[in-house]
Amino acid sequence: MMHCTMDDLLALRAGEGSAWARQHAAGCAACRAELEALYQRVAQLKALPVRRPARDRWPAVRDAVLGERRRRRGRWGVSGLAAAAALAGLLVFRPFWSEPIDAAELARVKQQSATLEQQLQRYDPDGRVTSGRSAALAAVLEDSIAVIDGELAQLGPMRAQARPADLVTLWQQRVDLMEQLVSVHVTRAAYVGL
Amino acid sequence: MTISLAVPDILVARAKSGDLAALEALYRAFETPVYNLALRVLRAPEDAEDVLQETFLEVVRSIKQYRGEGHLWGWIRQIATSKALMRIRHDRVRETEELHEESAVGAGDVAGAGAMSPGTVPAQIDLERAFERLSETSRAVVWLHDVEGYTHEEIAEQMGKTVSFSKSQLARAHVRLRRMLDEGVSR
Repeated sequence: MMHCTMDDLLALRAGEGSAWARQHAAGCAACRAELEALYQRVAQLKALPVRRPARDRWPAVRDAVLGERRRRRGRWGVSGLAAAAALAGLLVFRPFWSEPIDAAELARVKQQSATLEQQLQRYDPDGRVTSGRSAALAAVLEDSIAVIDGELAQLGPMRAQARPADLVTLWQQRVDLMEQLVSVHVTRAAYVGL
Repeated sequence: MTISLAVPDILVARAKSGDLAALEALYRAFETPVYNLALRVLRAPEDAEDVLQETFLEVVRSIKQYRGEGHLWGWIRQIATSKALMRIRHDRVRETEELHEESAVGAGDVAGAGAMSPGTVPAQIDLERAFERLSETSRAVVWLHDVEGYTHEEIAEQMGKTVSFSKSQLARAHVRLRRMLDEGVSR
């Protein structure tokens, strides 16, 4: 007697069985038992115990991500210097009447920076113990922020003539760095349950 | 699997902005299902951990491209599956093992071939061991289809194979599972 193949049984399980397979299974106790065993096997596979990783791979993921961000910032830093030089040229030679004002955007990005400063103060980074890696990363970010602050200070006397768009660019760069700095401290604080 | 895979939208939004704390929270939410999927397919814990790491590196790099269509777990699972299958494709030694196994197993009729009595429920540990003895490709197809709920079309697309390949792999794997459970896994 010809019985259902596993292909037939799987098709029956999926509701796609052939007319022959459906008819045969209806009248064949052995094939019905096989179909039931198939259902049970699948149910037991779904009920297998959940396995968990023995090691925490997040630190490796985080380090790789931070490394990529540092490299991107490094590339940006070089192009940023070029952009700063170009900016200086523009500030010296550009006509006073040529640029539209974008004061609202400048105010927004300054506010963003101030909010991040406050957020950073809440973590009191100077008053907490930190790992060597976090401290080194924070130092790099703080140095980069200091460079931006220096550029903003240099623009100070010329601020009346500086284009808001240029200032927005610098402030936005500061915000980006501040976000990374806050992330370093927030992540560390989360790790030690602060 | 009874793990809650729901994550708040605000967490996803923060992760998309690059917030490391939010990205870590996503990692914590999905590390177990990703690891479990990879382990079931690849069997070796080290390989599964590597897939876990590769998956989340990809998640961090690509999360901005996630548009919120469908469940986040579906998106992450797609990445994890792709990483796990990539490992199988790159491992030629295991491919040889698979060919050897398949040559020994047919997909002929099953009711007349074995002695499993109706109502027999093999112990779960035996099924787990039997499942681990399948080739990686077979395990991948069985796990993705029967447990994760992938269609044969989706499996075929992920594996770069045909739908009939996926179907025949599933059938052969079940024949082999049934036979191992019948004979006793230790033999």
